[in-house]
Amino acid sequence: MKLWEIFYKGIFEQNPIFRLALSLCPALAVTSTVINSLGMGLSVMFVITANNVVVSIFRHWVNPKVRVPVYITSIATIVTLVQLVMEAYLPRLYSELGIYLALIVVFAIILARAEVFAAKNPVIPSFFDGLGMGAGFAGAMLLIGVIRELFGSGSIGGIQIFGAAYDPPLIMVLAPGGFLLMGLMLGAFNLLSEYQEKQKAANNNAVVMPTIGVQRSDG
Amino acid sequence: MAEAVQGHGHDGQNSIFKIGINLTLACLLSGTIIAGTYSLTAPIAAQERVNLKNRAMKELVAEAQVFQPIQGKADWYAAQKEGKTIAYVVPAESKGYGGAIRMLAAVTPEGKMLDYKILAHNETPGLGDKAADPKFRQRFAGKAAKDMEVVKVPSDKNIQALTGATITSRAVTKGIREAVERVAEYTAQKK
Repeated sequence: MKLWEIFYKGIFEQNPIFRLALSLCPALAVTSTVINSLGMGLSVMFVITANNVVVSIFRHWVNPKVRVPVYITSIATIVTLVQLVMEAYLPRLYSELGIYLALIVVFAIILARAEVFAAKNPVIPSFFDGLGMGAGFAGAMLLIGVIRELFGSGSIGGIQIFGAAYDPPLIMVLAPGGFLLMGLMLGAFNLLSEYQEKQKAANNNAVVMPTIGVQRSDG
Repeated sequence: MAEAVQGHGHDGQNSIFKIGINLTLACLLSGTIIAGTYSLTAPIAAQERVNLKNRAMKELVAEAQVFQPIQGKADWYAAQKEGKTIAYVVPAESKGYGGAIRMLAAVTPEGKMLDYKILAHNETPGLGDKAADPKFRQRFAGKAAKDMEVVKVPSDKNIQALTGATITSRAVTKGIREAVERVAEYTAQKK
């Protein structure tokens, strides 16, 4: 149950892109097609999970004064491994993602999870934290990718949906379209979570009111 | 005694030396893992590159039976059918919007463009990378070097630029034009 909560918070409540507004650069740069978005999302998901596990395993040996360089070394190692393996087995995706694959090293969200969670928690919760955050990132990338490719190129995953008569607005595959879309989605997510919090508060009030004076043990 | 050592140990925990060792060990471990993986994947990646190249040449000149390396010209291949050269496959390179664009161009012995394939590029996804689409490649088919000029409004004597990717269009065209010129020069010498 607790592991599920650790996993689930990355999907919605603390979604890296829509809620924390971290790692917006790749969310803008490689989301013009679905395949690239998904490839990037899954690569990040793998790196963040693997790095959380590594950081958690070594958390007692890393000197706190050099923890950031050590975490970055760990992230860089994992990213390089992903690059090497992808070049050998998925050369097409490797050439599509180009420079952005190497840039995973400096993603704020990965270092943030290492510092905030993996450095203080055992291996298994750290694994689920990375998996959840990674899944939230990959899901957000996929969502942006589907919308941008559908409207910007009239296709999903390279398969034409709208037919030849559709004249795609080029702005959707260009950077400004990505900014507009991401702004709107961030706004939508904020509204949604505000609404949810209000609901929760209303429910809590209804429950708490009659039993006032009783200590609630859960925070 | 033991206490004194422990006290020293605690101070020593943050000494430059200890910190240096910590960082060095992390990097050593990382380097070992990367080197190990590289030694495993490098041959596969190299093989994959050769496969890609053979497949790319076959895609460019589907009728060819063999691709014969040309003496004295690095990476030049003659696509032969029944002992007759029907096309030359040559490398082409140009500087695009996001760095080098490496291509493979198939040119007829008469110095007319057949088709090309982009091997590596860093162009904008969704814009510049459309240079690899058949729709753009067909604009080159059957053209000689002198008919390759990038314009916005098309005619049959030039190349219509890709929307939103003029720099890429120019770069690809320049690379291809140079390749065609080189082949034309080579075949002229041979005669």
